[in-house]
Amino acid sequence: MHIEDLARLQFALTAGAHFLFVALTLGLATLVAVVQTRATISGNPVHLRMTRFWGQLYIINYAMGIVTGLVMEFQLGLSWSGLTEFAGDVFGAALALETLVAFFIESTFLGLWIFGWNKLNRWAHLALIWVVTLTAYASAFWILIANGFLQNPVGHVLEGGRLRLTDFGAMVANPAAQVAFWHVLCGALVVGGFFMAGVSAYHLRRRTAEQDFFRKSLRLGMGVALPATFLTATFGGLGFDTMQPAKVAAWAGSPERLAEAQAEMVARFGPGDWLPPVAWVQTSGTVMMGLFALMLAVSGVSCLLMLFRPVVRGFRLWHWLLMLMIPVPFVAMLAGWIFREMGRQPWAVYGLLKTSDAMSPVTEGQMLFSVSAFVTVFTVLSVVNYWLLARQARLGPGAVALGDRPIDAPVPVPSF
Amino acid sequence: MEIFILAFFALGYLVLAGADIGVGMTLPYLGRSAGERREAIAAIAPFFLGNEVWLVVTAGVLAGLFPALEGELLHGNHTVIVTLLLAWVVRDMGLWLRGRVPGARWQACWDGAIVAGSWGLALSWGLLPAHVLLGIEGPAALLPALVVAALFATHGLAFAALRLRGTLRERASVLTGGAGEARTYALTSVALVAVGVLAGFRLPLEPGTSGPLLVPVVLVLIPFLVAAQAWVWWTFRHRVSGPSYL
Repeated sequence: MHIEDLARLQFALTAGAHFLFVALTLGLATLVAVVQTRATISGNPVHLRMTRFWGQLYIINYAMGIVTGLVMEFQLGLSWSGLTEFAGDVFGAALALETLVAFFIESTFLGLWIFGWNKLNRWAHLALIWVVTLTAYASAFWILIANGFLQNPVGHVLEGGRLRLTDFGAMVANPAAQVAFWHVLCGALVVGGFFMAGVSAYHLRRRTAEQDFFRKSLRLGMGVALPATFLTATFGGLGFDTMQPAKVAAWAGSPERLAEAQAEMVARFGPGDWLPPVAWVQTSGTVMMGLFALMLAVSGVSCLLMLFRPVVRGFRLWHWLLMLMIPVPFVAMLAGWIFREMGRQPWAVYGLLKTSDAMSPVTEGQMLFSVSAFVTVFTVLSVVNYWLLARQARLGPGAVALGDRPIDAPVPVPSF
Repeated sequence: MEIFILAFFALGYLVLAGADIGVGMTLPYLGRSAGERREAIAAIAPFFLGNEVWLVVTAGVLAGLFPALEGELLHGNHTVIVTLLLAWVVRDMGLWLRGRVPGARWQACWDGAIVAGSWGLALSWGLLPAHVLLGIEGPAALLPALVVAALFATHGLAFAALRLRGTLRERASVLTGGAGEARTYALTSVALVAVGVLAGFRLPLEPGTSGPLLVPVVLVLIPFLVAAQAWVWWTFRHRVSGPSYL
């Protein structure tokens, strides 16, 4: 395998793994914040236990989001230093802001939320989960500003072979970034909603004694998933207006438009193959849109069915369906990213820097080492983590460590 | 100004996260039983999330303010950086996973991941200045790396002595005999800062062009970031009184 293919494979696999976890993080954080708000206002023990149970699942998932994200941040400099040297003065600013205004606060406050349970004032504790949720959104926002710049570079000038940021406002207002941010954010809510409903359906199918707990959870999950599916599709539709002509041509599969896009690129950049891999674009786009239709149908019907208590309690076929739906939004998410990123090829920064010119001058041995090490470690950890997520989901609200009160708490003494 | 911002976050990382790396390295010494190890981990548990983000921001600052250096530093030390990342990932997952399933073997396995990952992190951090500062490559670089790793371990013990009680506190104060815990921590902090500053002097710290835009934003943000961290330090200012969530 060529060194560039190895670097791309590593990026695709680590980014894919990262996104599987962060999509659920974004969606579930929102739902946990909503539940904890209700718990804090009402003081209802069911809401309190829901906060702890869904919060525990959120944290199990969150850990993998962090560790895959670390590799994402560093591999730009490791494998793609051609990109950071050429465009880092522009899109690096968005990455820096992501770490400063978003992740730093998100992670610091998440630690406080987890370990400060039963220690902090309950309103302060509630404020923490909302800050964690909003900074997670901010994180997605700045990452998509960076990605939007690569898709549709704006707000820069080319000086001495490097880009310089001239218009920060234009970079932030970039439609290719803004529309994608809302598309991804709503998609994450779909992921979180289907997850919550699916896990609840598992317990309802098993005739759980926690009827109230899981009925409320199922209704919340589906109640969020249906409007979020609509909005995701709306922003996805708007996104077609911001796409590169070659990506649209590849999606449409029309030979004339592909030839037109190719001819236009040849006129600008000289001879070469300037088209994205058509099969990848078409397959991923079809999968994403097909699954959207499925999710819309299931969430639409489910929102009606969940109004009737006996149905929520006893309709096992529907419980099975909701359980089987858990992975569907994840697959749609990944298909969406493949569509977006494969459709941008052969460009790293569209029209400015080719992917093949963005590589670091590393050896094939180094690349083989990093790709095999990251893939092995993340495969093992993902399997373990998903097993734990499923295990915790199956054990139910009775076995949650998060927010547990310590049995014997001696009087603490100051250490500094 | 760009250089001060980079130094602020990089040195903050070394001092703060250096302590939880050190506790991870000395975990088999501090905690002889599963219960003791859990208590030793409780010394760093509320802090490690907030500590490691200093490195995440350091990398973000590199990407935004020093993009050319970022590429050079990372791919120029490709194998060390990849090892560092793997060690970081393994250690973090050890911390998260150790308490998820009851059972001695499960916990011993992930405690092993914490120890191995912490040593991997410390040694990788030692190899970087050996490359950058002293220009040593190959097996000879392990010698300065071991010195840096020993510094991390000592720093971790100093922090553990500040946070733990009873037997665990006594074990952590083995190097100081229990006197001047805060002074020892200050001393190891200064030593880590010195290593960081010396390594920094050898780097080609040539800022990119986004400084005029980014620097004021970062300067406005820093007080808020420090305040958020100070809230964590204040909330968990007491000595560990029992096991934590991890």
